[in-house]
Amino acid sequence: MRTALRIAVKDLKLRLRDRSALIIGIIAPLSLAFILNLVFGSAFDPTEGLGLEYGVVDLDQSEISMSFTDVLEEVEADGIMELESFPDAQSADAAIEEGVVDSYFLVEPGFGQAVGTNSPATIQVVGSIDSPTSTQIAASIADQFATGFEAAQLAIATTSQVTSTPVTPEFLESLESEPRTAALSYQFGDMSAATRQLDPTTYMAAGMAVFFLFFTVGFGVLGLLEEERQGTLTRLMAAPIARASVVGGKAILSFILGLISMFVLVVATQLLMGAEWGAPLGVALLVVSGVLSAVGIVGLVAGVAKTPEGAENLSSIIAVILGMLGGVFFQVGQSDDLLSKLTFITPHAWFMRGLADLADGASWTAALPATGAMLIFAVVTGAISWFMLMKRLRR
Amino acid sequence: MPQILEAAGLVKHFGDLVAVGGVDIGISRGETYGLLGPNGAGKTTTISMISGLLEPDAGSISVDGQQITTSSTSGKGAIGLVPQDLAIYPDLTGSENLTFFGRLYGMAGPSLGSRVDEVLEVIGLTDRRDDLTGEYSGGMKRRLNIGIGLLHKPQLLILDEPTVGVDPQSRNAILESVENLSVEGMAVLYTTHYMEEAERLCDRVAIIDEGTIKAEGTRRELVSMVGEKDRISISATGNLGAAAEALSALDGVVGAATSDDGLDILAVDASSILPSILTTVTASGASITGVQVVEPNLEAVFLHLTGKALRD
Repeated sequence: MRTALRIAVKDLKLRLRDRSALIIGIIAPLSLAFILNLVFGSAFDPTEGLGLEYGVVDLDQSEISMSFTDVLEEVEADGIMELESFPDAQSADAAIEEGVVDSYFLVEPGFGQAVGTNSPATIQVVGSIDSPTSTQIAASIADQFATGFEAAQLAIATTSQVTSTPVTPEFLESLESEPRTAALSYQFGDMSAATRQLDPTTYMAAGMAVFFLFFTVGFGVLGLLEEERQGTLTRLMAAPIARASVVGGKAILSFILGLISMFVLVVATQLLMGAEWGAPLGVALLVVSGVLSAVGIVGLVAGVAKTPEGAENLSSIIAVILGMLGGVFFQVGQSDDLLSKLTFITPHAWFMRGLADLADGASWTAALPATGAMLIFAVVTGAISWFMLMKRLRR
Repeated sequence: MPQILEAAGLVKHFGDLVAVGGVDIGISRGETYGLLGPNGAGKTTTISMISGLLEPDAGSISVDGQQITTSSTSGKGAIGLVPQDLAIYPDLTGSENLTFFGRLYGMAGPSLGSRVDEVLEVIGLTDRRDDLTGEYSGGMKRRLNIGIGLLHKPQLLILDEPTVGVDPQSRNAILESVENLSVEGMAVLYTTHYMEEAERLCDRVAIIDEGTIKAEGTRRELVSMVGEKDRISISATGNLGAAAEALSALDGVVGAATSDDGLDILAVDASSILPSILTTVTASGASITGVQVVEPNLEAVFLHLTGKALRD
């Protein structure tokens, strides 16, 4: 153990000297988390509005057109958007020009009558060229409303045919204003566990921390291949030390670098970006088990790679695939689909889930399931990589 | 005198290739033993087994009475290895490199510090001790490479072609250092394909080719194997390969090979065959600039034993 520590200390000195570990382990994830939070932070925050500002021009003023406005006002009441009514298209155009609204809905005269007589009826969406996303969302809202009316029209026609009753105002009244019940449903963004509970800043900080962790721990175990190339492994193997000390030294360095990187990122993002990681003991458990699982997985890469360059490439590919699948950049899949379940074959997903479980002041014990899952990753991959690396040193 | 290294019946296969096919080596305290052979003769495989880097398929090795295997750690402490390729950390200073490897050999505290100072003095790097070795010249790196091997005062120092790719000045400094080691009582196993180095440094030399030792002894003993034969050294230019081939077919020529500046020929009686030799060389398209009949050396022994030159 003492020899393994000596090797780890020597490697730590080398890594601190060439500054690569500092850049990959701390500066890069911190910078990226900061930038991503700046760019996407509010878009991921379900507690804030999406910044959608719409207008509505109802030139029809029929019961049906007013029901459309009512639906939009309901959406506004939910904080999804801000709505402003305009008397005519000209004033709405002027509002777009001035940037007061992104888009507006235009209901032409005769809209209600057209719906009632089963004729084509349209709601126009006029949008600013500078707000394509906002306009697209407005078009989707109008589409959804129109689909509800089409369903209602079909129901009226079918009922009239089946009951052999002509479509009269009395008949329509008897159907209890069917179109009115075609309420607009809306969903912006995924609402599964992690995004529901982690605020965007913490999400970005945690995502970048665990993503770059897989690069950082590579400086330890992948160093074995570097020793092989620069000839120093021959000297280590000729020394009166056990092979396990050499492999152990590299694994210890990986673990130390991973811990330092994660610790600095947790503290820095909390102080500089306001990330809320949760109960310290729970976070510590997640960090330790996350680092161990990363050491195990990168150890597998060291076991199969032939050259340091090959190992770095393979390790980067694995880090990116596992990171994306594990949802470090954005949530992957819906709550119950296959992709969502697949994410949990990555330690990243468990790490993010563990943090989500710790959110809102939960006790440290909430992190135990995710910790356990990551420890299983660590034990399985660690055992296999240990076997492979020991075999590699036995010539 | 008790033997520090006793290696018996060493065999190593790599697939179908027999890299080492039954090598025996014994080296006494204070003795410098040379393993002389061309590239691919099995020198590095042999010393890899002796230093515990490679497990032999058959045979046994003991150093200072302790068995050496790849997994044994006790006996390895008695060995100092200087690998052919540089084995130093470029981002550590010379002093840090020595200290790190010294600790791996169980050295610590003030004794380690003073030994590091001593070795830096021996290899002439005291002034550059705190510089990163990545900034050292090639010769300085070579010297540090040797310094790490002898830091822990091993019973047996193994040097694997330590002068390959070294400038003449550094090469001479390395050879002088090795000469001093045997004086200090260290057993040295020195592999080389340079005949001059083996002749200068080694008390005994084993000539190795194709994984087996062809002959072993002191320089005098080995040269005597050539017998009454004469060594003819011809300085020449042109198609030397063809000339050597044609000479080998001549009656009275034991062996012929190209050398740095011409041809080396081992003949039964130089005075009688010399005219035929000169005619053959000229007929092969080479131009002769000088001829010498010289005392046989290890090159001639190798030629005599294998029919080919050391550098083939």
